[in-house]
Amino acid sequence: MITVDRLTVSYGAFTAVDDVSFVAQPGRVTGFLGPNGAGKSTTMRVMVGLTPPTRGQVTIGGLRYHDIPNPARHVGSLLDASAQHAGRTGREILTLGAQTMGLPKARVDEMLDLVGLTDAEAKRRLRNYSLGMRQRLGIAHALLGDPSVLILDEPANGLDPAGIRWMRGLLKGYADRGGTVLLSSHLLHEVEQIADEMILIGHGRIVAQGDRKTLLAGASKGDITLVTSLDNAGLGAALTQAGHTVEPVGEGLKVAASTEQVGRVALDAGVVLTDLRSGGAGLEDLFLELTSGTAREAVPGVVPAPTPGGIPA
Amino acid sequence: MSTTAPVPPPPAGPPAGAPPVTLDLSKSGPTPFGRLVTVEWRKMIDTRSGMWLLSITAGLLALVMGIIVLVVGLNGYQVDANGLSQGLSIPVSLLLPVFGILIVTSEWSQRTALTSFTLEPHRMKVLGAKLVAVSALAVATILLAIVLGVITNLLCAAVTGNPLQWDIEASQFLWTIISQLAFFAMGFALACLLLNTPGAISVFYIVALVLPIMLWGTLFALFDWAKDLLPWIDINTALAPLMSGADINGNTVAVEAINYVQGIWTVFLWVGIPVTLGLWRIRRAEVK
Repeated sequence: MITVDRLTVSYGAFTAVDDVSFVAQPGRVTGFLGPNGAGKSTTMRVMVGLTPPTRGQVTIGGLRYHDIPNPARHVGSLLDASAQHAGRTGREILTLGAQTMGLPKARVDEMLDLVGLTDAEAKRRLRNYSLGMRQRLGIAHALLGDPSVLILDEPANGLDPAGIRWMRGLLKGYADRGGTVLLSSHLLHEVEQIADEMILIGHGRIVAQGDRKTLLAGASKGDITLVTSLDNAGLGAALTQAGHTVEPVGEGLKVAASTEQVGRVALDAGVVLTDLRSGGAGLEDLFLELTSGTAREAVPGVVPAPTPGGIPA
Repeated sequence: MSTTAPVPPPPAGPPAGAPPVTLDLSKSGPTPFGRLVTVEWRKMIDTRSGMWLLSITAGLLALVMGIIVLVVGLNGYQVDANGLSQGLSIPVSLLLPVFGILIVTSEWSQRTALTSFTLEPHRMKVLGAKLVAVSALAVATILLAIVLGVITNLLCAAVTGNPLQWDIEASQFLWTIISQLAFFAMGFALACLLLNTPGAISVFYIVALVLPIMLWGTLFALFDWAKDLLPWIDINTALAPLMSGADINGNTVAVEAINYVQGIWTVFLWVGIPVTLGLWRIRRAEVK
């Protein structure tokens, strides 16, 4: 269990992490989401004692990281997969870790197998590794000590789709066996499929937290349903008659009602539905909205005009 | 900013003050210091740069040995062990301090400090292990130089037919080792202070090698004030009387208590002060 308790990290006048509190529970995958520069990595560095907190503290299983004997046996962390000596081979990097933790050499081979790095790849030097291979090696390093807590900063970065799926399965299984998993990402879709709990952070502050359902429930401003049927005109009339606001959208209709309500009206009217789904704010919209104060995207609504005739030579 | 999702209060954590420890601490004791030393030793030699440095040092030792045998053989000089120990300590002193520098600065340039200080968050313990590992390397190299010196002496005697001389003075020999270790500790100290490979290497070679050769010797010979001042700021100048009973320009001097004070002071100046500031910096540094 990771307990972040009123954590603040300031650099002079700039506050990178602002009074953040949350708990990552054992047996669950906790997703730590936010745009670049929101304070995710800083929070994670405080967890493993690399960054001193300005105020507040983080405990893991009731102890500060500094006070855990041989901490990598309990807390596996991957903060930056590229922060390894470029001239060492993958196998050597794991061997150094295993030696420091007092683990048998066989553990290195087990981990290489687990993350799918072949013998030939393990013999290559890190400078010749792709980002995806570095991530795999970093995950292997984090799992080396068979820890009960995992802290992973952007672990999916650079992994191919197959790799991302593999990692999801790995972390899910890990949490199912009682482990605590905290992983950060700036990409919602990477996290929402495996995270049991999500912490949304923007501008150093937690803007929302909870499981997927709670977050969505809090986000919806009344039900919106998108529906397409074989007889849109008939269905639209029936819906209007039932007192719902209807407007045509694309090939279907947008209705201010729940999917259940729309389904019932269609059933009564005898119209065949070909598509029925909730059109309320998705997690993605919620995520963008909550963190928009800090995101580095262009000002909403202002689309830069294309240069006539393309880019001048 | 409008927050549309409610922020539920964080789940009730353990009561403040004494949270229960839920980690199974039985599976690990504190990392033994000896293990950290072994790991640091391995880290010195498991990269190409480390292997190159060692190979070049070994190569230089062999080269100096070869030159001595050649010159002695051609000219029929009588060599003594004192001269040999001086000659063979040059290659050792030339490159070895780089190990003392790299073992610290590479953690920053390669960003491996992230891993090292995560595996062992007691940073001073890690730095201590580094110092022990690299000191062991220094002593090992000096021992190698001694063995080569013995062989060189035997070869010279064989080449020239002169009688063998094993007249090495224990005190001079001891001081040679002390000064080697002092310079090498100075490299380590500057590395801790600057945490930057080119910076630490430049400062080290300028202070330990370039200035003494190009400037101090001349000033020392020409000016009285330099005779008074330099032993207080330069390790070479301060240690020379203790090592060989002569100042840096080879003039015999009587060794007094003040020479010991100067020796200790200059080592404190170039090792004690930077290492204290440097360790303080590393202890507080944010590792990114």
